[in-house]
Amino acid sequence: MIWLLALAIGLPGCGKHAQLQEAKKNTVMVEVSSQVWDYRMPWNPGTVSSGRGAGFIVAGKKIITNAHVISGARNITVQREADPRRYPALVKYVAHDCDLAMLEVDDATFFKGTTHLDLGGIPELESVVSVYGFPIGGDRLSVTRGVVSRIDYNAYTHSGRESHLAIQIDAAINPGNSGGPVMQNDKVVGVAFQGFRGDVAQNVGYMIPTPVIRRFLRDVEDGRYDYYVDIAARWMPLENPAMRKYLGRPDDGRGVVVTDVFSEGSSDGHLQKGDVLLTIDGHPIESDGSVRLEGKPVQLEEIVERKFAGEVVVLEVWREGRAETVRVPLKPADMFSMYEVLYEPAPRYVLYGGLVFQPLTANLMAVLSGGADLRLKQKYTMFASDQLYKETPEPVILSAVLPDPSNVYLRGLAGQIVREINGKRIRTLQDVQPALAVNGGRTVIRFEGDARPAVLKREEVDRSTPRIMAQYGISEMSRTEVGQRRLAKGSLGGNEAK
Amino acid sequence: MKGWIFLGAVVLVSTGWTAEQDEPQGSVVRVRAAIQPYDQFRPWQKKAPYGLNGTGVVLPGGRVLVTAALVANRTEVGLEKPGSAEKCAAEVEAIDFEANLAVLRPERAEFLKGFKGLTLGPALRAGDTAEVWQLERNGELLRSQAEILTVGVGRYPNDEAGFLQYGVRVSLPKRDDSYTLPLIRENQLVGMVMMYDRDSQEGTAIPGPMIDRFFQDAADGKYEGFPTLGVSWTPLRDPNLREEVKAPKSGGILVTRVNPRGTAGRAGLQEGDVILAVEGMKLDEDGNYRDPLYGPTAIGNLVRVRPTVGSKAKFLVSRGGKEMELTGTYDRRARDEVAIPTLSFDVQPSYLVVGGLVFQQLTGAYLQEWGDKWTERAPQRLVELFSFQQEKRPDPQKKVVFLSQVLPAAINLGYQHYSGLVLEKVNGKEIHSLAELAKVLDGLQEGNMIFEFMDDPGKLVLDAAEVKAKQEEIRKAYGIAELRRL
Repeated sequence: MIWLLALAIGLPGCGKHAQLQEAKKNTVMVEVSSQVWDYRMPWNPGTVSSGRGAGFIVAGKKIITNAHVISGARNITVQREADPRRYPALVKYVAHDCDLAMLEVDDATFFKGTTHLDLGGIPELESVVSVYGFPIGGDRLSVTRGVVSRIDYNAYTHSGRESHLAIQIDAAINPGNSGGPVMQNDKVVGVAFQGFRGDVAQNVGYMIPTPVIRRFLRDVEDGRYDYYVDIAARWMPLENPAMRKYLGRPDDGRGVVVTDVFSEGSSDGHLQKGDVLLTIDGHPIESDGSVRLEGKPVQLEEIVERKFAGEVVVLEVWREGRAETVRVPLKPADMFSMYEVLYEPAPRYVLYGGLVFQPLTANLMAVLSGGADLRLKQKYTMFASDQLYKETPEPVILSAVLPDPSNVYLRGLAGQIVREINGKRIRTLQDVQPALAVNGGRTVIRFEGDARPAVLKREEVDRSTPRIMAQYGISEMSRTEVGQRRLAKGSLGGNEAK
Repeated sequence: MKGWIFLGAVVLVSTGWTAEQDEPQGSVVRVRAAIQPYDQFRPWQKKAPYGLNGTGVVLPGGRVLVTAALVANRTEVGLEKPGSAEKCAAEVEAIDFEANLAVLRPERAEFLKGFKGLTLGPALRAGDTAEVWQLERNGELLRSQAEILTVGVGRYPNDEAGFLQYGVRVSLPKRDDSYTLPLIRENQLVGMVMMYDRDSQEGTAIPGPMIDRFFQDAADGKYEGFPTLGVSWTPLRDPNLREEVKAPKSGGILVTRVNPRGTAGRAGLQEGDVILAVEGMKLDEDGNYRDPLYGPTAIGNLVRVRPTVGSKAKFLVSRGGKEMELTGTYDRRARDEVAIPTLSFDVQPSYLVVGGLVFQQLTGAYLQEWGDKWTERAPQRLVELFSFQQEKRPDPQKKVVFLSQVLPAAINLGYQHYSGLVLEKVNGKEIHSLAELAKVLDGLQEGNMIFEFMDDPGKLVLDAAEVKAKQEEIRKAYGIAELRRL
């Protein structure tokens, strides 16, 4: 055991030197000025901050880094250890859901003297890896070493909602390490991306393993990033003997039972509650939901994780006492996108008489946080589980009331969920302006629950608008275009967001 | 009287009142309560006991007045004569957790012999002064001068809608572990301190008229409590909103929700009505009426304290611009006839354990057990049903039965991490109370017990015969005396 361990550390000893040379050549410092939108005042361009991370050169003269290093970037420069110059870089692709990004540098001189780093596999538990980056404490390349402590699903905190395979190592990952390569035997085995802050744990760092990196690289081959797909069904382990008997399954330790199928998701129309999933793409599913992949037990979602939008997963399903084969075409779970923290897209809003309407997003909840009332908090937490998106794909919130003499009585209504405007049901932000345009001397806004309605006189609004725009430095009264954003469609009511 | 010297400095305003230097001893007793709350998370047991002390006021009929908070969830209450070791057990004769008042009766009537009961004094106004009485350890009376800062409707510890209360400024040394203390003026009882903040030296007191109303109700031995209107309303100051609801030029409040079972609902009030007056008292745009004694006072006092359960109610409302008078009878149905009770002190939580699955009937007390941040920490479905029950569970007969936890055993393998799941059906039968659940389960001797829940995982299944065989084993393993209390 001792000998083996010594071997593990000692053998790459000569290779280590080569690895360090390669790492030095191909690890880059990424310096970023970024702008963070202010969801309290969505018309403002936000505050500028700067930060530093790492990246590394892969085949094809591309730089891989973390999405969180370059999110909201207005200016990016990259710098190599051997070259004092800073080169401007641009984001070619960004995948916030798996915290990866690809940068491009136009200036060919940047790549002089570089080679590129190759991707390896998943390192063994207890094996040693080296982490390269530019963490706090100095300006030159830093190297730390750690042991692979755990390989498991973990939350990717940057996205706010995603979980993917992650590798835990016992080297601390500090700000500035982010995006840097983690190497073993001359190959990249991961991208350093997150750690634990504060006193929660020590010597815990996480890296994005190569299956996730490879998936990203393959996804962008067609010139755009398409997000992870999601089976969009819930299942529960099938461990209870009485439950197994009830479902007509022998006590063979296999299968899980579908407990929920999300409308608009991949499984919608393909799977049903009560289906027992027996195999996935031919891999037998254990009663705890694990499958064997390359000899290792992983959650059955890993099969789905490795696929792309438009691909199919084949399930053997036990339904009403019969085995059936079900083909589920995969797509991203757009209806859950409300929980995704948004970085690049400008916040959408509509202003009317000092009333600020915004769609409910993770970003908005973050700024309302403690101030949000229970009704709004529940709308947010239960949006996916109760499939509220069917009725309101994008709840609209009266997020603020900008004080003006014309709205003194309306200030207490900030934080309410808009139900209808001038008798028109509001299902997405796109519904707001047409509803406000309904002609009449008064605009009546009704909210969910028992809050009083807001009543505004059209002539007063017309008078107050220029005053409010000047007072609060607002140049645009609305920003509603959806752009590249993915929204829930909503199956009731027919008001579709375009 | 060292308290006086200490207090002289903090009392800012004195109305020139001089206390009669009567011997006030013989008007107050020390009240010691042994408290043992029910454990809502382990409903078959109680929590660790603790003691609370307060100062009780002796009343003319040989009774003692305290706050309800002092004796909530008690196992026993004792009275103690100041400066002596003489004790006597007492019973709670009437208690109102909303109004935060309780009347105690000593088990031995002769215990209070020789005590001079305090009579109720007049209502106070802002600016009046009074005294707060506390008992020293040695039985001496500590009298602290208090100033009445405000008189208005405000929150009580167990009543969000609020009752009339006095805001008092007084410097109180800590003598007991509760601030149940009488407010006295000219040797008459004028209020009961119920909350006190040592930093700001301000507190709130239950006013004499509330106590009076409580006594009158309790006098016939049948306590009915304070009535309630059963509406949500909003002020009507906004001229645009007034125009929208066609309210008259001035006055009135807008009804935003009506409980059909409540006083107002049965009198015919509807959502969107503007209440202009109650009992002939005009309401202003903020919902205040002009009280002959206190001046502008919130409607709460007008509809909850002045009338009694069973008395006639009269509303002047404007509906779509037309004025109309509606009449009805004051009652408490909007409070008492609910699917999920808000208050459940002194009430044993009900539960039923089947195959290790613990089912409980949802109460406010259960949710409170999650602490100050219960709205965030308790299961969200339960929070929703409780907080928005007028929308989500309007039928008071449909109680909420939920799986609160699973006591792990071989029989419930695979179910052990589930909790906070609202039960909808068992073997296809809808379940609206724990008693109904018990009845359905008792009828199942063999075959499947299929539990259907509102939320994921939707369904859990147990084998009835196996449950029957294992009940005793689970009961013993977890040391639970009874597997159900309905």
